[in-house]
Amino acid sequence: MSHILTAQNVNKKYGKFQALKDVNININKGKIVGLIGPNGAGKTTLLKSVLGLDSCEGELKVLGIDPFKRRADLMKEICFIADVAVLPKWVKVEQLLHFTKQTHPNFSISQAKHFLTKTKIKMDHKVKELSKGMTAQLHLAIVMSIDAKLLVLDEPTLGLDILFRKQFYDNLLNDYFDNERTIIITTHQVEEIEHILTDVVFIREGEIVLDANMDELTNSYFEVMVNQENYEEAMAHKPLTMRKVFGKYIMLFNSTSRDLIESLGEVQRPSVSDLFVALMQEEDQA
Amino acid sequence: MNTFKALLQREYWEHRGAFLKTPLIMGSLMSIFLILFYLTVEQFDLRVGGGQYIELGSATMDELDTSGIQSAIDIFMLFTGSIFHFVLFIILFFFLLGSLYDDRKDGSILFWKSLPVSDTQTVLSKFTTAIVVVPIIFTLGLMVSHLFFFIIGSLIFLLNGINPFTILWSNINFINNWGAFLVGCLAQAAWALPIYGWLLFSSAYSKRRPFLMAVFLPLIVGFGWYFYNAIVNLEVLKVGVFKTIGIVMAKATTPFTSGMGFDLESVDFDPTQQTSGELIRSMLNGLTNPSIYYGMIFAAIAIAMAIYVRRFRNTT
Repeated sequence: MSHILTAQNVNKKYGKFQALKDVNININKGKIVGLIGPNGAGKTTLLKSVLGLDSCEGELKVLGIDPFKRRADLMKEICFIADVAVLPKWVKVEQLLHFTKQTHPNFSISQAKHFLTKTKIKMDHKVKELSKGMTAQLHLAIVMSIDAKLLVLDEPTLGLDILFRKQFYDNLLNDYFDNERTIIITTHQVEEIEHILTDVVFIREGEIVLDANMDELTNSYFEVMVNQENYEEAMAHKPLTMRKVFGKYIMLFNSTSRDLIESLGEVQRPSVSDLFVALMQEEDQA
Repeated sequence: MNTFKALLQREYWEHRGAFLKTPLIMGSLMSIFLILFYLTVEQFDLRVGGGQYIELGSATMDELDTSGIQSAIDIFMLFTGSIFHFVLFIILFFFLLGSLYDDRKDGSILFWKSLPVSDTQTVLSKFTTAIVVVPIIFTLGLMVSHLFFFIIGSLIFLLNGINPFTILWSNINFINNWGAFLVGCLAQAAWALPIYGWLLFSSAYSKRRPFLMAVFLPLIVGFGWYFYNAIVNLEVLKVGVFKTIGIVMAKATTPFTSGMGFDLESVDFDPTQQTSGELIRSMLNGLTNPSIYYGMIFAAIAIAMAIYVRRFRNTT
C-alpha cells in the first residue's frame, strides 16, 4: 500500500461554519509533506480528523483505517505532536518512558534513553522542571523512538528559540526519517522547513488550493528579477506578484515554459513562503 | 505491554499525594493526638495530683473488665474507620471530578491520545482507580495507622508499668474491625456508583467548570421536581430528588450506615450501637436493596456517556 493517507470529499462543519470543504488528498509513503495555511484555514481541523480526534464527513482513511472509529488501533502505527500538546507536568521522565513502553507496542525505551543522553534531561526530572525547549526535546525523543509509519507534527516548535528549532529538524531528518516513513508538518515558520519538504499542500478557508511536490513547483513557478526595460513585457505575462527591490522588479510567474520566463531576466526558484503569500493573494483577488 | 495496569499506575503516580499521603497523615494525626493527650494528662496529674492519679489509674487497669476494653477498642477502630471512609469519599469526589478534565485543561490530553489507548480504557481506568485501587490503599493505610497507634499506646503503657499485651493487644479484634472497614469500602463503592458515574460524566462533558455542573445540575433538577409537585400537584412536602441525593450521599460518605433502610432516619452512624460483626452483616444485607440496582444502571449510562463525550473532547 503506497497511499498512507487518502481523503475523498472530506467535509467538516462546526455549526454553520464549514471548516473543511471537499478536501481531496493522497499522501504517499516516504514523503515529507508541509501542510501550510493561514490561521483558521482548517489545518488543525484536518489534522484532528486524520488523527481520529474528531469526526468528519466523507471518506478518510489513514493506513486503511478509519481514524475516528479506530483511533487506538491507528495510534499503534502513527504518532503525533500537536501544537498545543504538552507533556503532563507532574510526570517524571522515567515514568513517562515506562508508561509509553507499557502502552505502545512499537516503542523502544532504549532508543529513547539513547536520544536523551544527548540532552541535559535526566531520568528523575519531572516535566515541570524542564524548560520549554527540553520538554520539546523529550517529546521528540519519545516520538522518534516509536517505529511509526506516519508522524504528524502540528507546530512542533512553537515557542522554541531558533537553536532548538534548528536542532529539532536536524534530529528529525538525520535520526528519524527514512524512505519507509512519512511525515506531515504544519508550521508558520515555513522557511525553516522548506528545504526538508518533498511536497507542499496549501490550505485556505477549508479548501486545498495547492497540492504539489517540490519538483513540480520548481518547474511551474519562477521568480524573476526583471529590469526596467523588460517591465512592460513582463507585465504582459501577468505575474502573480510583484515587488520592487533596488530598482528591479521581482515577479512571480506561474508558467509552463521556463525559456519564455528566462528571456525576462534572472530566474530563481521561489521560496515556499513567497509562493504561499502569492497564492493566498491570488485567491483574494479572484 | 500491559495497558490497563499502566493506566492504573499512571493514576497512582499523578495522585500519590492524595491517595497515599492522606491516609498516612491521618494515621500520624491519630498517634500525635494520643501523645498530646497523654502529655496533657501527665502534666495535669503532675501539677495537681503529684503524679498519683496515673499511678492509681495504672494499678486499677488490671482489674478492668476485658469486654469493656474490647468494646472500647472496637468503637475506636470503627470510629476512625468511619472517618477514613468519609475522607476517602471526599478524595474520590475531587479525583473523579478532575479525572477527565484536568488533562484537557493543561493540554496533555493530546499526548495521552497520541498513544494507542482507547477512550474506553482511559475512562474505565479512572473508574477502577476510584472503586478498587484507592479503597485498597486506604484500607492498608488504616491498618498501618491503627498498628502505629497501638504501638504508641503500648509504649505509654510500658512507661507506666502496665503490660500492653494483656491490656491492649489481646483485646484487639483486628479481623472484624478491619474487615468491617473493607466491607464498608465495598458498600461505599456500591452505593456511590451513581455519584461516581455522574462525576465522570461531568468531568468529561464540562468545558470550564466541572464542579458547578456536577453539583448544581442535580440541585436544579431537585428544585424543578419539588416545584413541579408543589405547584401542579400541591404536594409541598414531596422532596423526592433531594431525598434520594441526600440518602445516597449519606450512604456514600458513611457506608457503615448503608445496611439500614432507605430513609433519612437511619443514616446516622453510632459505633456504640453495633459490633463490627453485626455491622458487616448489615452492610452486606444492604447490598441486596433494589435501589442499588437503579444506581448501577444510572452509573452505567453515565459512564457510557462519559466515554462517548471523551472521544470528541480534546481541549477545553
